[in-house]
Amino acid sequence: MAEQSLTRNIMKKGVIGVVVGIILVVAARATHFPEVFQFMFFLYAMLGALVFILLDAPTMPRLEGAKAVIGLIIFYAVLSGAYIGGASILPQYDPEDEKGKIDKVLKMRKAMSEQGKAEELIARAKELNDRAASIEKQLQSLGGGAVVVDDAAGSSSGAASGDLVALGKEQWELQECYNCHKLFGQGGKKRGPILDNIGNLMKPEELREKILDPKSWKAEGFDKQYEKGKMPDKYKDLMFKAEVDALVAFLATLKDASVNTPKPIKMK
Amino acid sequence: MKTLTRSLFIFLGLVIGGGAIAYAQVPPAPLVEFPYTGNRTAVWIVAQLHILFAAFILGAPIFAVVSEWLGYKNQDPKYDRLAKEVTKVTVILYSMTALTGGLFIFVLLAAYPDFTTWLISHFFVIFAIVYPLLFILETFILYTYFYSWDSMKGPQKARHIALGVLLNIVGTVTLFAIDGPTSFMNTPAKAVEGLSLVEYIQTAGLWDKMANFSWMPLNLHRMVGNVTFGGFIAGLIAAYMYMGAKTDEDRSYYDWMGFVGNMIGVGALLFLPFMGYLLAYELCDYDASICPYMMADQLSMFFEMQGAMVGLIFLASNYYIWLSMKRIQGVEKVRMSGMVMIAVLLIPAVMGVAWKMFPPPEWQSLLFLAALVFLPPILSRLPGLRFTVSAFTMIKVGFLMIVVADAIWMTPHGFVATQAMATEHNELPSWASELALMPAKNAAAFTLVFLTIVNYILYNRAIRQGTIIWGKIDFASQFVLIFLAFSAIWTMGLMGTVRSLTRKYFHVYNLVPDFTPEAFTPTLSYSAWWITGVTIVFFAVVSFSIMVTLRPGSGQKADAPQGIPVPAGGK
Repeated sequence: MAEQSLTRNIMKKGVIGVVVGIILVVAARATHFPEVFQFMFFLYAMLGALVFILLDAPTMPRLEGAKAVIGLIIFYAVLSGAYIGGASILPQYDPEDEKGKIDKVLKMRKAMSEQGKAEELIARAKELNDRAASIEKQLQSLGGGAVVVDDAAGSSSGAASGDLVALGKEQWELQECYNCHKLFGQGGKKRGPILDNIGNLMKPEELREKILDPKSWKAEGFDKQYEKGKMPDKYKDLMFKAEVDALVAFLATLKDASVNTPKPIKMK
Repeated sequence: MKTLTRSLFIFLGLVIGGGAIAYAQVPPAPLVEFPYTGNRTAVWIVAQLHILFAAFILGAPIFAVVSEWLGYKNQDPKYDRLAKEVTKVTVILYSMTALTGGLFIFVLLAAYPDFTTWLISHFFVIFAIVYPLLFILETFILYTYFYSWDSMKGPQKARHIALGVLLNIVGTVTLFAIDGPTSFMNTPAKAVEGLSLVEYIQTAGLWDKMANFSWMPLNLHRMVGNVTFGGFIAGLIAAYMYMGAKTDEDRSYYDWMGFVGNMIGVGALLFLPFMGYLLAYELCDYDASICPYMMADQLSMFFEMQGAMVGLIFLASNYYIWLSMKRIQGVEKVRMSGMVMIAVLLIPAVMGVAWKMFPPPEWQSLLFLAALVFLPPILSRLPGLRFTVSAFTMIKVGFLMIVVADAIWMTPHGFVATQAMATEHNELPSWASELALMPAKNAAAFTLVFLTIVNYILYNRAIRQGTIIWGKIDFASQFVLIFLAFSAIWTMGLMGTVRSLTRKYFHVYNLVPDFTPEAFTPTLSYSAWWITGVTIVFFAVVSFSIMVTLRPGSGQKADAPQGIPVPAGGK
């Protein structure tokens, strides 16, 4: 009797759940929800059906002795499987994406952290450099010095600035600026201004000022975010000068006047 | 004499010098690499196990002393028995806390020697003096509290309760002390103007480092979490004992114990989303980039899983109330104003819109809240609005809205593991983006809390108007109690993982980088495997402790006989 009643209960609520689920899917499709959300709405309907099946389910018979122990073990196994399975079907972040990023972010710090060695090497290099300069000076005073023109450096300046912009774009990714600022139509969730035209609105030294001291400038219309200090005041501690230079160089190239980047206002 | 002194100095100098040279010759120990798990996961496993045991030994005494006090106040031996049984299990698990704590330090030192030394040097007073002393004091008080239970009866009972209160005070101070370094790793004290963070931390005092942004929110979150933990574990103990009970008296008692454990667990659980919100708010306030990392980027799906878990826990706790009500004789007579039902149906939409227009804590937002809570009873007195609905109808409507609230709580902005992969094919359409924002999430959380309170009000009316028969609850309720304990602990593990991961590739956020190859965000799936593994190990140990100390099914006599059936509302 109880079994019949349970079967009827499952059938009845199950059918209602499926019907409600289909209605939700159709409504979601009509209102342009992506497929993954349509599927999710269907699952919500089925969760509702399951809840109402349980509410009207007949009383469970008592389990005793070995049956109770086996029941418990199965229950724990089902729970564990459900939680691992549930977590595994959700989209997974690929750690490989981050590994490369972290290596790049920490490269300079890692080199510096090898205490003693790095400092010693720098000190030695400086000492050798000073000695070379002093010898060169002596040679020049004797009239035997040759003036070496660094052609390579001059000729490659265009390529070097191109590299700098590329490095700056990399810094944009590494420092995850895209989480708050929209650029090239990607990223940003209203936390920070869209930056496609920032190169026309701020000079490089002003951009540097903003990065190192976020309170120095405010974007028009972003008063609340400015007051709350949404832009982290950490880049002066986290980024090396070369990294800031590169990021500034990249931002200075952003000159798409068709995009309405909010006007920067000097605050300090 | 002078010569002798000089000779002694020279000798000592040689010994020290020789020793130093010899030490300098010793090659540095090779770095430890834990097989299979790797170093980070090894630390993760031991730390999480330690925190679970610590949460138990901090949460269970709060539960126990409140229960003992209720027993004393109402002269009801049931409460005293409950308190003693929970304390008995706590005493056994106390050694596990110490064991896993010691293991944690060993593993941490082996896996991250430089960082561990650095952290200890910054919190030397805490690690070397305060924490050990508090732990010893707590041990002393706990054992005295447990072993003096029978000798401090009658007129001395109040003193025994005072001892329990002292145990909880020391436990809470211990928690606060160790939360200092833990929270410091997430939000190290901010540098003062003109100094870099590194320079500031070198000169900052201990208090500056302890009283960081997330310290108090973490303290509050863990304290409330521990009470929830204590309640649900008491429910677990009750479920095991009920399953093994041989007599009606025992079944009656453990049925009641399960109800009390669940009520305390759920009572504290109601505050937990708000405590968690406070902690997340402080983390985001400290550094706004943590927020997108948690909610929109690498950890977004961890929060999706958390949403699912919280939803399931609220569903299960309300299902337990439903099963509890089904065995009350006369429950069919219990009714509630239909206006409350209408308010319940309106809550998610009204509060979502209200909080969108007036974000909390603006006073207008509280006005809407007050209107929803207080208007139904007032309106229901007006002629023409005096219709009522049965308790079961009310609860069923409540369940419908719990499912709706769960759906809102779980709906993300996009089904993507990182913001960089967001496209229109996996994001909400722009017209519905409000569903993923905080006003909607707050409205969902409020709905879950409100409905749980309404269900408890109905339950109280039912036991006042009817007769509750302890020991006759649907057997499925015992699995609900176990489900609640397992799921709450699993969720604790998940959110602990999230809190740790918000440090990104730093040991101490923005201050001490983690140069090891394991400094990346693991996948949710990988995390879920380990969280489940740790939860199972914890449950195995707790289950074993319950078996050993309380011996379910052994038929041992209760401290005081319980009568069945117990009149509703009876002491």
